[in-house]
Amino acid sequence: MNGPLIVQSDKTLLLEVDHEQADDCRRVIAPFAELERAPEHIHTYRVTPLGLWNARAAGHDAEQVVDALVQYSRYPVPHALLVDIADTMDRYGRLSLVKHPAHGLVLTTTDRPVLEEVLRSKRITPLVGARIDPDTVVVHPSERGQIKQVLLKLGWPAEDLAGYVDGEAHAIELREDGWALRPYQKQAVENFWHGGSGVVVLPCGAGKTLVGAGAMAQAKSTTLILVTNTVSARQWKHELVKRTSLTEDEIGEYSGTRKEIRPVTIATYQVLTTRRKGVYPHLELFDSRDWGLILYDEVHLLPAPVFKFTADLQARRRLGLTATLVREDGRESDVFSLIGPKRFDAPWKEIEAQGYIAPADCVEVRVSLTDSERLAYATAEQEEKYRYCSTTATKQKVTEAIVRRFAGQQILVIGQYIDQLDELGEHLNAPVIKGETSNAQREKLFDAFREGEISVLVVSKVANFSIDLPEATVAIQVSGTFGSRQEEAQRLGRVLRPKADGHQAHFYSVVARDTIDQDFAAHRQRFLAEQGYAYRIMDADELLTES
Amino acid sequence: MSTEEKPAAAPRSLAEALRGRDDVSLAALLRSRPDLITPVPTDLTQLATRAGTRASVVRALERLDRFAVQTAQALAVAADPATYTELLGLLAGDDGDPAVSAALPHALATLREQALVWGDDTRLRLVRTARELLSPSPQHPSPTGLGPTVREAAAGMSPGRIQEIVSAAGLPSTHDAVSAVAALTELFNDPARMSALLDRAPAESLEVLERLVWGPPYGQVTADPAPRLRWLLDRGLLLPTAPGTVVLPREVALRLRGGRAHRSPEPVPPPVEAAAAHRPQVVDATAAGQAYTALATVEELLKDWHEGGPAVLRAGGLSVRDLKRTAVALDVPEPVAAFWVELAYAAGLLASDGEAEERYAATPAYDEWREQPPAQRWARLASAWLAATRTAGLVGGRDAKDRTLSALGPGLDRSAAPEVRHRVLTLLAGLPEGAAPVTESVLARLSWERPPRGGRGGAGPGTAGGSAAEGGRGASAAAGDGGRGTVGGVRAGDGEEDLRSRLARWALSEAEMLGVTGRGALSAHGRALIGAPAPRKPEAETEPEGPGDKLPVHHRPTPPPAPLSPADRATAAATAARLLAPLLPEPLDHVLLQADLTAVAPGPLERPLADMLSVLADVESKGGATVYRFTPGSVRRALDAGQTAADLHAFLAAHSRTPVPQPLAYLIDDVARRHGHLRVGAASAYVRCDDDAVLNEILADKRAAGLGLRRLAPTVLAAQAGPAGLLEGLRAMGFAPAAESAEGDVLIARADAHRTPPRSAPEPVPDGPPVPDDTLLTAAIRAIRAGDLASTAPRKPGAGDGPDRGELPRTTSAETLATVQAAVLTGASLWIGYVNAEGAASQRVIAPVRVEGGFVTAYDHTADEVRTYPLHRITGVAELSDDES
Repeated sequence: MNGPLIVQSDKTLLLEVDHEQADDCRRVIAPFAELERAPEHIHTYRVTPLGLWNARAAGHDAEQVVDALVQYSRYPVPHALLVDIADTMDRYGRLSLVKHPAHGLVLTTTDRPVLEEVLRSKRITPLVGARIDPDTVVVHPSERGQIKQVLLKLGWPAEDLAGYVDGEAHAIELREDGWALRPYQKQAVENFWHGGSGVVVLPCGAGKTLVGAGAMAQAKSTTLILVTNTVSARQWKHELVKRTSLTEDEIGEYSGTRKEIRPVTIATYQVLTTRRKGVYPHLELFDSRDWGLILYDEVHLLPAPVFKFTADLQARRRLGLTATLVREDGRESDVFSLIGPKRFDAPWKEIEAQGYIAPADCVEVRVSLTDSERLAYATAEQEEKYRYCSTTATKQKVTEAIVRRFAGQQILVIGQYIDQLDELGEHLNAPVIKGETSNAQREKLFDAFREGEISVLVVSKVANFSIDLPEATVAIQVSGTFGSRQEEAQRLGRVLRPKADGHQAHFYSVVARDTIDQDFAAHRQRFLAEQGYAYRIMDADELLTES
Repeated sequence: MSTEEKPAAAPRSLAEALRGRDDVSLAALLRSRPDLITPVPTDLTQLATRAGTRASVVRALERLDRFAVQTAQALAVAADPATYTELLGLLAGDDGDPAVSAALPHALATLREQALVWGDDTRLRLVRTARELLSPSPQHPSPTGLGPTVREAAAGMSPGRIQEIVSAAGLPSTHDAVSAVAALTELFNDPARMSALLDRAPAESLEVLERLVWGPPYGQVTADPAPRLRWLLDRGLLLPTAPGTVVLPREVALRLRGGRAHRSPEPVPPPVEAAAAHRPQVVDATAAGQAYTALATVEELLKDWHEGGPAVLRAGGLSVRDLKRTAVALDVPEPVAAFWVELAYAAGLLASDGEAEERYAATPAYDEWREQPPAQRWARLASAWLAATRTAGLVGGRDAKDRTLSALGPGLDRSAAPEVRHRVLTLLAGLPEGAAPVTESVLARLSWERPPRGGRGGAGPGTAGGSAAEGGRGASAAAGDGGRGTVGGVRAGDGEEDLRSRLARWALSEAEMLGVTGRGALSAHGRALIGAPAPRKPEAETEPEGPGDKLPVHHRPTPPPAPLSPADRATAAATAARLLAPLLPEPLDHVLLQADLTAVAPGPLERPLADMLSVLADVESKGGATVYRFTPGSVRRALDAGQTAADLHAFLAAHSRTPVPQPLAYLIDDVARRHGHLRVGAASAYVRCDDDAVLNEILADKRAAGLGLRRLAPTVLAAQAGPAGLLEGLRAMGFAPAAESAEGDVLIARADAHRTPPRSAPEPVPDGPPVPDDTLLTAAIRAIRAGDLASTAPRKPGAGDGPDRGELPRTTSAETLATVQAAVLTGASLWIGYVNAEGAASQRVIAPVRVEGGFVTAYDHTADEVRTYPLHRITGVAELSDDES
């Protein structure tokens, strides 16, 4: 009874990192517990029904889970909790969706009362057809996603064993010349392929695109890739041409400007969710080809309508890629039921330790407002307050000081408010990328930055997602979207790509002291602090006097 | 003792049977039926009468195990008196059943001990009241499913009809109705002739019999019965009871059943099955962990109610909303919250404060409890739980008047609760160490030991069976009956479970929550708590049945688990606490601080540390460890509580094994920097003067010391004294102050811990009188014996008019004095009639010691002590005959 694990009554697991058995323990609990926080001494995992069902989907049974808890727990595990875990896990797989030779898609059960119970639900009735025998009921093929969603809500998640259509075959090979998939990437592809559909969770910079490419090479079929924006779409295309046997002509872009449908098509969420007169005109994209694989980039940003379309695509293999399953809207369960269970997960710190992403030094610089600023802040309207304190003039000085300090390195300045960014761009003599900057201009600037022609780039939140800036070593965040945790994670991701020269990455967040800016910053940092990125706090004065 | 020989003559009444019993067996009777000695009966005749009252018999029957009940039911359908062999035949059937034969002596011994059956094995008699209660009648169908005897059923029939039946059955006809019935009875009782008769029966008629044989034995017929019924009616195999109704006579049914009164006699208690076996260490550790949680939960509950708990409802108890809130605060489901609240109440840790606005609050006992070591705190909770009649499981349900039962409210006492709890734990103790029981098997065992009132064995009254005799559609009824007949009446009540089963379920789950059991198995400290003997080696789980103890009425093979006396209970609790103590985690003196502004206490903390941390940080997660989160608000709270930033830094540094993370240090400094920037205080009055010299003067004046003056600004003084006092004081010092309107007067409202006046914990409410202890029993028996001696002792005729038994002797005062004086000399015992100061007359047997001043000092056999009686209150005396000791 001296294990590294403490089981809490709220179903969180505390893992003492410095314990000698910590690694063994981590390995056995990882399949069923979600890592919630990973600060320096004690990591917190949470056991949720989704996590337990994920584990069941991966072939673990309740006994293994209970054994793991009992074996590594420091204190006796409450009996009720063990019973609850066993009960919850037992709920998965009582119902399964399978293909019936005569009736097509059917829902069948190993436990008749469960089927009776769910069939009595008002939300299930419209989704099912005739009862073939006491244990089997026909499901309309078009409701495959919907029924999974509803069953999950009812607490009886169905195992989807109905298989997938192969889709139109298309030869895709990885071209591993001078590079190779990293072990964890290979593992991720393997896990995904074995599980059929699901989500792979990898930190920014850990090569999610390559996992996607690997999956395509496995599927060898036509693929639809959904990404957040056009820049990201171009990068996917670039990367795919470089890493696989696909040529430029085989890859189409389906965005606001271009509407190409090719064996591999990259579409943006935005074009898909465009609505005209109450209908989504671009939906035919899903039916335009017999897709064998659908890739979702940045699953945590998947807009709600895409969930709805996805529900209709349950017969196709789906792979979700993301850095975090945390959704600010809390729709994790839809990701589970519509895209699939989590198939692979690696904590940031672990991948960093393996040297695949650059270690980062996170610093929060606290700026004091001047007396007059404080008075102005105090009298500002409530909705203006954040804007006021996060764009304070002192921040500019601090930013300049940091840029001076890292002169010669590739520096990104990221902010929320355009005025502030314009001003900064002027002072730093750096180009500004914002919403109105054209895509061509953006790419030109990114290229220049990549080539080292420009060393400082000021970007607004348009650059939050999926742009690839391999050589940025310093990021300075002057303001953010209020308290968005995943934005902070994304921004840190900008500097986490492995550096050619092994330079340490720096992430500065400039925050106005004693204002709501500081509160929001604390909220934003929570995710990273929980991932083990300890923020250093610095006084602006300290920094200014240093330089 | 007189166990070796029974009285030569068979007893003629229960009273005589009782008289023949020794003290030990009388004590056993009184222990199991304590209602018999409240008040103490004067003699054995009275005891026997009381033992035969309906209320007492019902009570006694309810407390029998299933087989004893079945035995009593069998006796009730047997002849009166019955022989042991007849009884065995009824229970075991014609084919015999070794289990029944083995268990019957024990069951019979129980019935005898309880004075429900008397007489020796050749003349077994069921107490009349019990017989009335248990024998079948149309109003109260017997659980055996048997109908009336031929004689009873034929009582209202015309002699002519009886003649017809007799001749149809092929018996010689007789004109005497009584002998005709006797002949019919004899026929039905004779297996050979009966089978011959049935062989001739048409198949459809046999089918009808088949449907009625296991009861209910009544069926409906139309005015013109079908041939298959006609055949039966003609031969008396069915007898009419009322127009349109027929009954299957008891003798016929028994013959068809192979002599058995019950479809399935249950001579052996169902064993408690083990569902899983864990290592005893795991069980103990889990239970200990849970015990610690229990302590933490109770503390948390009362901490939550620290500054005045929820209000008491007018009808008493906690409102549903308050219970909900408490459940949320404790992060448990409501029924569990109700359990903790009731537990704290039962342990005397919380009570209503009894003020005008009644609220619940911790009692002073709680503060004492809090200071005790954890193991003792647990022992206190656990022993309060074990003995409590209040049952938290009922909370949220409705009482007979459809009022919601609220936690801490009235109507939650269930007198059976402590006994069921004790019994459940004892059953667990009977399993091998570390074995967790199958809940259902525990319930089945409990229900065997004391069958629920509703389903007293036998098949339930299937309504469909009633019409089965007529139509051919009764097949389903028979099938339905067969399906349910698995275990007598265990499942008779299909709907709500009986109270004892529910109590047992609650007991099991509550024991788990309290840490008496761990992973379902009884822990070592739980075992000690119930005073169970050392754990049994894993062996076969069968109670040793005492074979062949037919004769002595007393001495059960296994003594019933006697409830512990208060002293024993205290010892048991202390032992349990001692066993538990080493298993409880040692409090830690450090926490782990992390950069994400959390602190993790990887185990229970020392109390001062825990108290401080709970102020400085918010608790985020509880369990084996505690996770605290530091927020600006929580740090501010600590500063408000009088800590300085330096204190906090020092505190964290002292209790952290690792350096204090920078963000945390910043957080504290940030909050501290702004803390106290604005100052708020309370003053009762102020002095304002444009000339600060005057204010200086006032401050310097010694006479101003009592006014509590303080300078806030050059021209303002704040005073603690009120405006009136201040004015007076300043005037006394020679100033001429003027009063200003008293605005801005601030009052301090300081929250204080809220406590009730001293309160005692609620007393358990037992059902009926308490089980008497040995001293009381001995005294009671001595009193009854003496009373019996007094009323039955043969007396010398002569003195007086030879009073009848039961009447007070009457003699003249002269005679009285003479007899008494003579008795002093001879040392003889006298029987006296005595009227006490209240005018109540009684009889006593006394041995006079001396006579003086109008008083007799004598040893009173009845009271077993030396007493003094005024001579004028003695109505008369009589000598006891010599042959009496």
